[in-house]
Amino acid sequence: MTEFIDVDVRPILRAGGEPFSIIMAALARLAPGEGLRLYAPFKPVPLFDVMASKGFAHREAELEGGEWEIRFLPGDGSPDAAEPARAALSDGDWPEPVVHLDNRDLDPPEPMVRILAAVERLAPGQTLGALLSREPVFLFRELTKRGHQWRGGFTPQKDSYQLTVRVRA
Amino acid sequence: MIGTSLCRWAISYFAVAIVWLLLAEVLVVAGFGFPNHDIGGPDTLVIVHMVSIGWLSTVLCGALFQFVPVLVARPLYAERWILPALALLTLGLTILLAGFLTLGGHFTGPPWLLPVGASLLIAGFALVVANLGMTLWSARPLPGPARFVAAGLACICVTAAFGGMFSLVLSGTAIGAQWPDLLVSGVPIHAIAGLGGWLTFTAMGVSYRLLAMFMLAPDGDARLGRLAWLAGVAALAVGAVGGVLALRRATGVNLALLLAGVAALLSLIAYGRDMLGLYRARKRRALELNTRMSLVALASLVAVAILGAAFVATGSLPSHVGALAFLGAFGWLTGLVLANLYKIVPFLTWLETYGPVMGRVPTPRVQDLVDERRALKWFVLFFAGSWAATLMLLVDAALGFRIAVAAVTLATLGLGEEFIRARRLADVAEPLRLPTGAVVPQLLVSRN
Repeated sequence: MTEFIDVDVRPILRAGGEPFSIIMAALARLAPGEGLRLYAPFKPVPLFDVMASKGFAHREAELEGGEWEIRFLPGDGSPDAAEPARAALSDGDWPEPVVHLDNRDLDPPEPMVRILAAVERLAPGQTLGALLSREPVFLFRELTKRGHQWRGGFTPQKDSYQLTVRVRA
Repeated sequence: MIGTSLCRWAISYFAVAIVWLLLAEVLVVAGFGFPNHDIGGPDTLVIVHMVSIGWLSTVLCGALFQFVPVLVARPLYAERWILPALALLTLGLTILLAGFLTLGGHFTGPPWLLPVGASLLIAGFALVVANLGMTLWSARPLPGPARFVAAGLACICVTAAFGGMFSLVLSGTAIGAQWPDLLVSGVPIHAIAGLGGWLTFTAMGVSYRLLAMFMLAPDGDARLGRLAWLAGVAALAVGAVGGVLALRRATGVNLALLLAGVAALLSLIAYGRDMLGLYRARKRRALELNTRMSLVALASLVAVAILGAAFVATGSLPSHVGALAFLGAFGWLTGLVLANLYKIVPFLTWLETYGPVMGRVPTPRVQDLVDERRALKWFVLFFAGSWAATLMLLVDAALGFRIAVAAVTLATLGLGEEFIRARRLADVAEPLRLPTGAVVPQLLVSRN
């Protein structure tokens, strides 16, 4: 498992501050193999390129109230235990997910609520990726009723369930 | 996996079960059956079967119809068998109880009441076992919790088979007359397979998954529950096979029961250790009321195990078996079931009401359907009453026992009202209560 250093820039931005230097300072303190977990009030898209140039892949998850949790993983090429290998799923004919949710630490049935809410905001044919701690058996029923498709399976480590939902085209 | 739907009739099972529980409690408060009457007498049998079949078995069947598909991620084999099974169980129990009342001289009924009641019950349980068994069969290899359920289903078959034979003996039929010793040696097997195997073992299995889910504890380790399962199955097998062998040679069942008891104790210790492990590994710090109350019920099970071992060691088990059975049936099983109903009923109601509109409009959380502070006082009353009643039985205070059970009855009524309030969405604050597109559920049936 990748160890993460948490950086919460929400209070800094709320106070009108500038978070970039804080993030870079935290980055400089990371031990080899450590990742950075960033909490931000919006999706910090420009930061993704900066971090990629420094060798960090990112995983994004939307939180309540439009806030975001971004995990930057040291990109040593190894499929890390913290992240299941997406390639294991044959999503070939489906577009890349536009939303990623990490719902592993949420109380049931909160994962289901968030996925349904996020799916409602997607355009037809778009997909959503979600990580869960269990197979969401009650969610499937609602997805079926709404005409959405899904694919899912346990990760090789068996510690989480990877779900992809495709909104009815 | 095509997803789990809501079981239409789970709520109906729960409602019928609670009515039987209340009826049994009221009869005990009125002084019917043990300890005023003989523990093996017909009046006590009325109470025992009201609690074990009417209440515990019915509620467990309802819960299993909903949660076995969740445990094994497969749809239920035959949804259409669920309601006929409830009808058979309820009718069969009613006739069986009439048979016991006839036996006790309360009224003059025909001698066929007991065998007919038992046959209907066997038919009802057969429908349940076939339905759940086929569902489990489709999901082999079984995950840990589901194995407990499979063993429990085997045990209800043993229990029902013995019960059916007893009914032939007790009603004085010619077939029954061929087994004069059956009741002496068979009753312990009947009771252990029913209370220990079917009710307790199944509840243990389901609680592995439910408690892990509610405490947000990792339960992915395949070894979790294995020792509890192996020791438990050994206990049940030794008890049943040894009991039947002893029966055929008519040499008594004490050795088999002692060996089974040791294995059962080992199973319970392993189970307690597993639950403690889940509790320690939980990610959710503040536990909800249903989980806290499940843990209190678990404490009663620990007390049953300790007291049982102590009574066996001191040779005083025969005089305390009633108190022990009461603590097992109420402090442990009834407490565990009520605690979990307090989560299951609001959850199923929430899913039924808000599932269709979820994500489209703001919806309440499951917790918004209940008022834990109000329910807590009923749970406190329930457990205090159950433990006091056990104590009264241990000190032979019959009146004290009835008063304590009156408190338990009041608590049951209070919790029953909480369940009805959850079904009616009575505690959900406006404007979230009924968003556009949501409909208040029916009290006794779910839409699926």
